[in-house]
Amino acid sequence: MSDYLVEMKQINKAFSGVKALEDVDFNLKPGEVMALLGENGAGKSTLMKILSGVINRDSGTVKVFGKEVGDLNTKEAQKMGISIIHQELNMCPDLTIAENIFLGNEIVNKGLIDRNEMNQKTREFLGRLGLEIDPEILVGDLSVSVQQLVEIAKALSFDAKVVIMDEPTSALTSAEIERLFNIIQDMKDNGCGVVYISHRLEELAHITDRVTILRDGKFVIEGEFSDFTLDRIITNMVGREITEQFPRDPGVRQDIIFSVKNLSNGKRVKDVSFDLYAGEVLGIAGLMGAGRTETTRCIFGVEHLESGDIYLEGKKLSINGPSDAIAEGIVLIPEDRKKDGLATELSINDNLALPNLDLVSNKFGVINQNKEKNLVDSAIKNFNVKLASKADNASSLSGGNQQKIVIGKWLSRESKVIIFDEPTRGIDVGSKVEIYNLINELKKQGVGVLVVSSEMPEVMGISDRIIVMCDGKVTGEYLHDEATEDKIMADATAFEIKK
Amino acid sequence: MSEGKTKSRFMSTKGARSVMTAFIGFVALFIIFSVLSSNFRTPANVQNLLRQIAPILIIGLGQGFVLLTGNIDLSIGSVVGMVCMTAGTLMTKGTNPLLAILLALSMGLLVGVLNGILVAKFKLPAFIGTLGTMTLARGIAQLVNNNRNTDFIGTEAQWFRDSFYYGDILKVYNAFWIGLILLTVFYFILSKTKYGRHVYAVGSNINAARLSGVKTDNIILSTYVVSSFCASMTGLMLLASAGMGTMDAGGSYEMYAVAACVIGGISTLGGSGILLGVLPGAAIWGILQNGLHFVGAPVALRNIVIGIIVILAVLLDIVRGPALSKKG
Repeated sequence: MSDYLVEMKQINKAFSGVKALEDVDFNLKPGEVMALLGENGAGKSTLMKILSGVINRDSGTVKVFGKEVGDLNTKEAQKMGISIIHQELNMCPDLTIAENIFLGNEIVNKGLIDRNEMNQKTREFLGRLGLEIDPEILVGDLSVSVQQLVEIAKALSFDAKVVIMDEPTSALTSAEIERLFNIIQDMKDNGCGVVYISHRLEELAHITDRVTILRDGKFVIEGEFSDFTLDRIITNMVGREITEQFPRDPGVRQDIIFSVKNLSNGKRVKDVSFDLYAGEVLGIAGLMGAGRTETTRCIFGVEHLESGDIYLEGKKLSINGPSDAIAEGIVLIPEDRKKDGLATELSINDNLALPNLDLVSNKFGVINQNKEKNLVDSAIKNFNVKLASKADNASSLSGGNQQKIVIGKWLSRESKVIIFDEPTRGIDVGSKVEIYNLINELKKQGVGVLVVSSEMPEVMGISDRIIVMCDGKVTGEYLHDEATEDKIMADATAFEIKK
Repeated sequence: MSEGKTKSRFMSTKGARSVMTAFIGFVALFIIFSVLSSNFRTPANVQNLLRQIAPILIIGLGQGFVLLTGNIDLSIGSVVGMVCMTAGTLMTKGTNPLLAILLALSMGLLVGVLNGILVAKFKLPAFIGTLGTMTLARGIAQLVNNNRNTDFIGTEAQWFRDSFYYGDILKVYNAFWIGLILLTVFYFILSKTKYGRHVYAVGSNINAARLSGVKTDNIILSTYVVSSFCASMTGLMLLASAGMGTMDAGGSYEMYAVAACVIGGISTLGGSGILLGVLPGAAIWGILQNGLHFVGAPVALRNIVIGIIVILAVLLDIVRGPALSKKG
């Protein structure tokens, strides 16, 4: 027997001529957590999709439990004991939790589905994750974080020896993350190998034994985690020194440019008031479900407002939809890139031009092609978007570059207030810094910037002032220098005891 | 940032290849039928063929607008019948033909507005909403002349019959010219204007479009109005052609319209395809009807062939679609 659960050697993979992986080596031992790190587009997900049979390699060898294997499909990989938790949730919202967990592996009794048995087993799996919920609840009715836990429970249900987790914590609360780490520890003790992909480098210290770093589809380095510092990991990931993780220009705060007073939408948003100054970055911190996203969506006119007022430069606004907000100079960069930010099957050009067509068309609505070309080209250049051709679909870009399109499409307009909802979720360190620099630049121009972020270091690092939300209400406010993680956490969990 | 100047701008647009494929298919069928039948290849039949294509082309253009937003309009076949019967009835009762046309046209547009409100404002699934108006419009078609087809629409309406169908310019019948003009205008609107981009954006991702400031409800409503306008024009054309209103005019045309769009590369999922494709799409539909008639194939066989072509066109699109992009 070999010492390794998995050995991958000289793996190559190209997508329509573009190399995604070039001679990559990877291995995993029993009872360890291997962190697989790299920027977006480095090839981490591609490598793990090959291992779990989602896609086939072009060349290279793969050994599982010491035995060389050919091209696997997902079912064969599962049978061998390889289980993957995908970055994007892959579940059927209209099926129950139990039906999702046993999808494709239904327990059958005399040709009929054994619902009781499936529910019973599901309860056990969920119990291991500390979840006590009815297995017959529809997955679509669950919150995102619980959905992610169900996805994890599904991966555990296969009795896997190799578990691949691709960004498993992106939607989890800290308590849930802790529970997940305990489970990972259990798996280690049982001799399982875990491949852990995450952009949240702070998490790694709790669980990681070894790291493998990829960059631009190539293997960079592998080693014991204890031999690495955070800086050394980042340097290897981006291939250059990053001087500051959160560059922040203190700037000069000007007058109040924007205020909301007593906003309520009858659901998640309860009596929210705050002011935003020109040339200021105001961060909104809080846990998932605190009503931060809903607040931004109410301001932008996406969701209906039950009561409350919105003022821009002292003038009361009446916003009945995003088009009204945009006309006033308020824009929102949404949290969910695929759902709200990009038309992935339209070209990069059309995505960048979409909100700005009024600027490049005449009074009959006919688009001036030269004006459009100039606008799109300068957006691409200013934001350093890496692309093959702007006529390609937006889906062809890596996550970080897609996010640059989502943001960049708003920068051709002279906006007064720009709202960023989780602007750096799931993107690489290099792109993150570019986005922080952009926020600083906007601030310098006198724009009022509102940033919703669930990453505590980020929201503390870039904001001039921070408000904290909990359960739909504002529960705290701090200037940059006053804020500490403890204070923010206390406010973020300041739930009122229900009578 | 390399946008090949050598490649023509048209061929570099997405969907251009589907249009070319459909066009080549049409030429191939034309050659096959020309070899098989000497009656097919006469100049008179070619003129005739173009005229037969026109109604499907026009109704297909409207359906194309709706499909591009990711919706569907099932009511248009019935709108054809309703407009045909309404205008026909009015003309036989002595109404001024021009007034009759305008009244019938407004009724058609009203159905479009109703579809738009049901789908855009009340969020009814397009399939269900327009299924309802489909039945409703056919009912009106039967009602207007007491469940009878109309009589001959009379000689005062001769100018109408000529201008909509029988007259010709440069030996091409007016019906085809009307189709070509509408095609040009609509293609220009969809490819060169802000409105057109908004239509594609709604079909590609309605949430992202709305958050980019597109008034998505208005866009969807407008496409249904365009669609019902095209159906109304088709209804008038059938009236001009037959010289009388028939209650079942336009039966199954909503599906022929979808077929013309799909053969021409417009996706039923919305957001992709170009309107020019409806021309070769409708032409293939027309040449199969016409050509198979000349080689003596029974009607049933024609339907079977058209059905197979539609399935092949979509399969071709699916097979070559995903190979283009997708990265890990």
